Amino acid sequence: MSTPSAIDSQNKMAPRLGAELPLAWPKRTVRTLASGMQVVLAESRAFPKISAQLAFRSGNAVAAHCSPGLAEMTATVVRTGTASRSSRRIEEDLRRMGANLGTTAGADTSAISVSGLAEFSSGLLELMADLARNASFPEDEFERERRQKIEELRVERTTPGFLASERMRRVLFGDHPYAIVSPSLEDVAAYKREELAKFYREHYVPPNVLLIVVGDFESGTMLEEIERTFGGWSAEEPESPEELLPPRYSGRHVHLVHLPGSVQTQLLVANLAITRRDPDWYRLMLANSIYGGAFHSRLVANIREQKGYTYSPRSSLSALRHYGYFTVHAAVRHEVVAATLTEIFYELDRIRSLSVTQEELDGARSYLSGVFSLGVATQDGLLGQLSTIYLDRLPEDYLETYRARIHALTADDVLTAARRHFDSPDAQIILVGDREQIADQAAVFGDVETFDAQGNPI
Amino acid sequence: MKKLHIPVEHTKLANGLRVVVSPDHSAPFVTVGVYYQIGFRLEPRGRSGFAHLFEHMMFQGSENAGKMEHIRLINSSGGLLNGTTNYDITNYFEAVPSNALERVLWLEADRMRALKVDDENLRNQRDVVKEEVRVNVMNQPYGGFPWLDLPPVAFRNWPNAHNFYGDFADLDAATLEDVRSFFHTYYAPNNAVLLVLGDVDPPESIALAERYFEGIPPNPMPPPADVSEPPQTEERRGEVPENFGPLPALAIGYTMPPRETNEWFAAAILDRVLHGGRAGRIYRELVLEKQIAVDADGGAELLDTNGPTQMVTRIFHKPEFTTDAVIAAFDSIIREVQEKEITMEELDPVKVKFRSDYYSMLEGGMGSYMPRFGLMHYLACFTLFDGDPNRVNTILDGFLGVTPAQTQAVARKYLVPRNRAILARRPVSTGVSQ
Repeated sequence: MSTPSAIDSQNKMAPRLGAELPLAWPKRTVRTLASGMQVVLAESRAFPKISAQLAFRSGNAVAAHCSPGLAEMTATVVRTGTASRSSRRIEEDLRRMGANLGTTAGADTSAISVSGLAEFSSGLLELMADLARNASFPEDEFERERRQKIEELRVERTTPGFLASERMRRVLFGDHPYAIVSPSLEDVAAYKREELAKFYREHYVPPNVLLIVVGDFESGTMLEEIERTFGGWSAEEPESPEELLPPRYSGRHVHLVHLPGSVQTQLLVANLAITRRDPDWYRLMLANSIYGGAFHSRLVANIREQKGYTYSPRSSLSALRHYGYFTVHAAVRHEVVAATLTEIFYELDRIRSLSVTQEELDGARSYLSGVFSLGVATQDGLLGQLSTIYLDRLPEDYLETYRARIHALTADDVLTAARRHFDSPDAQIILVGDREQIADQAAVFGDVETFDAQGNPI
Repeated sequence: MKKLHIPVEHTKLANGLRVVVSPDHSAPFVTVGVYYQIGFRLEPRGRSGFAHLFEHMMFQGSENAGKMEHIRLINSSGGLLNGTTNYDITNYFEAVPSNALERVLWLEADRMRALKVDDENLRNQRDVVKEEVRVNVMNQPYGGFPWLDLPPVAFRNWPNAHNFYGDFADLDAATLEDVRSFFHTYYAPNNAVLLVLGDVDPPESIALAERYFEGIPPNPMPPPADVSEPPQTEERRGEVPENFGPLPALAIGYTMPPRETNEWFAAAILDRVLHGGRAGRIYRELVLEKQIAVDADGGAELLDTNGPTQMVTRIFHKPEFTTDAVIAAFDSIIREVQEKEITMEELDPVKVKFRSDYYSMLEGGMGSYMPRFGLMHYLACFTLFDGDPNRVNTILDGFLGVTPAQTQAVARKYLVPRNRAILARRPVSTGVSQ
C-alpha cells in the first residue's frame, strides 16, 4: 500500500518511491510419489480456477535425429483419443468443466496442460491422467492431424519471424538436436503411428514427469486427489541420450533467407550463451535488460525512439536445458538494414566496453525485481515460473532469493557478463527479406550465405 | 457453483473524471489504467489510423516528464506499461509494485493535463507506426485478416468501415496541429475513467486521484457522432489478395444485436455454440468431420465495443475446396441452429465454459504478465458504455440465463445473408515452390 509522500506543491516532480514491499511468495507443496512422479502444488485463490501442467522431461531433441518433430506430433495426437474416450468426448468433457487443454512439445519437454474451473478439479485431473496413461492414437485422427500439420508447416514457411529463428537455430547448433525447430514436410509425411505410440510409451512415464497444479484449492486435499488419480501408474525412466556438443563457429557471418515480395526485413543477431544454471545467469539478465530487454533499454531508445527504424526491437536470453543463446531482433524497412545493424553492434560494443551508469543499474535492478514479482501474480504466470524452476532443477528457494540476488549485482557484474556472453565479434546475423533489396547492405557485415524459404542454399 | 464477487468502489470527481477502485490484497501490486472514450471509429476523416498514431504520441512526453521519462519512470519502478487503441476506447495502463502507485497517478495526470510533443516526435512515431503496420500486416501471412479486411466490406458508415491502422498517405498527412486538436477534443477528464486495482485502500486511492487529477479542467464534448449503419438489404462480399500464405481463407461476419439487449446475450451464447475451439460446431464440422478446413474459429468482440460489431468466423481451408463449397458447408451449420433448438445438454456446458472464460479474462487477459488486465478492461467498458462498473458482478447472469428458444430466435433473425459479409483472402501463389 502506498502512503502519500511529500511532493512538490505544483506536482512538477515525480513522487518518490516508497521502499520495496516484502512479498509473501506462494507456498509450495512438493512431493515425489512412489511412482517417481514429482508433484508441485501452489495455492492461488483469488479466482475459482485451477491451472495444471503435466510436463514430461522429453521433447523433440530426444528424437531429432531419427524423426524431427516426433514429440510434437505425439503430443498433438495424444488429445485425440484414449482407451475410453473418443476425440469428441474429450473436447466435450473439457467444455463441460469450463476447461482449455493444450498438448505440446518443445525441444526438451512434452506437456499436457489444462486450465478450468476449480469446482471440476477432480474431473480435470482424471482427464489429464487418462491422456497421460491411456492415449490410443486412433489411426484416422493421426492421419487427419498429419495432414493438418503439413498445411500448418506450409504457412509457417511464409512467416518471417519463424524463418529467422529457424535459420538462427541451425546456425548456432549445427548437428546438435537443438538445431531443428520444426520438421520438414517429408519428415511429417514419414511419421508412423507406431513411432508415436512408442515415444509415448517410453517417455510419458511417471519417473519422467512433473505435475504442477496452481489455483483455488487446499493443498492437502489436492495432494490426496492426485495420489488417488495417478496411483498404480508405474514405468521405467527413459534412457537419456548422449549429450552432443554444439558446433564452434567464429567470425561474423550473414545468413540471408530470401523471401521474395517482402516489404520489410526481419533481422536477428545471435550467439550461444548460457543456461539458467550458469553462475553468470543473473548478471547476464541484468545486462540484457539494460541492453535491449526492456522498453526503456538502450536499444529501444536508440533504434525505435530516436531513429524510428523499427516498432519492436528487443534482445532476449533463451535457455534450453543444455544450452542457452542470446538474440537481438528487429523488423525494419529494407533501406535501414545496415544502419540498424550498425546501431545493434554499436550498443553491444558499448555495453562491453564501458560501465553502465548508476542510474541505469538502479533502474534495471528494480525493473527485473518488480517484473519478476508481477510475473507470479496470475495463475498462469506462477505456473510458468514453477515449471521453469522444477524442470531446470533450479534451487528450491529460487523465488525467495531472486530479488536479493538481483539487487546485489553491480556495474562490474554487467560489464563482465556483457564481455563474456554478448559475443559481438562472433555474432551470427540472420536476415529474412528480399535479397534484391538487402544483399548489398548485408555484405557490409560479413560473408553472406543465401537460402530460400525451404532452407535450401541458393 | 461458486460465485465470484469483485469489490468495486467508484466515484466521479468534480471535473467529470470517473474513478473506479477494486481492492485485492493478495499481493503488493497495483494495476492502473486510464481509458479515454475515443477509438479508431471516431478518428477524423482523411486521417485514418490517427487514433492509434495519437496513442503513440501519448508516450512522447508531457510537461513534467519528457520523452522516454514515462517509460523510464515506470520500468525503473519495477513495472510494465503499454497502451492500445480499440474501436471505441484507447487505454493506457501500468502494472507496478504498490509502492509506485502515486508515481503512476502523477504520470497519468501529467499527460492528461499537458501532453508535450513536437514535430520531431511526430515524425519519429509515424516511422515507428509504419514499421508496426508492416510487421503486423503487410509483411505477414494473413496480416490484418480479418480485422482490417472485413469492416470495409461489412459496413457503409466511414467510422465503422475505414482502415483502422491507417493508410500511409493519411499517416503522412497528420500534423502536430491534428495531434493538439485531437488531444484537446477527446483527452479530457470528463471523457475518461481512471482505474486502480490491487493492493490499495479505496478511500486513499480516491484521495490520491483527487490530488493529482482534480485540477485538470473539463472540456465540453462534441455531440455524439452517428456511428449507426444504414439498413443492409443483401449479402456483401469482398476479396483481398494473400501475398504470402498458401491457404485460401474466408471470413464470414454477421452484425450483432445492440449491446446489453436480450438478443445480444443470446447471440453471445450462440456464438459459443458455434465457435469456442474444438468442441464448437464449426470446428467440429469443417475441420474434424468434413475436413474441408485446416482451422476454423471465431467470435464476437462483445464487451469492449459500443457500436456496430460482428460475430466473425475465420476459416483457413484446403485449396481443393472452392469458396462456394466452403460457404455451403458453413451454411448447413447455420441452418441447423435455425431449424432445431439447441438442447440444454449442449447449452449448459457452453455456459460453464463461458463463465470459466470470463473469470480467466478477469484474472489475466493480456498474457500472464499483467495481473488483472481483463478486470481493469471490463470495469472500464462497463463504466464508459453502461455507466455502471458493478456490471462486472452481474453481467454473467444475462449470458447464463439465455434459453434454447432465444438462441434459435436470434439465429433466425441475425444469421441471415442480408445481415452478413464475406471476405475471401486468396493466395497469389501456392507458397511451396518459392
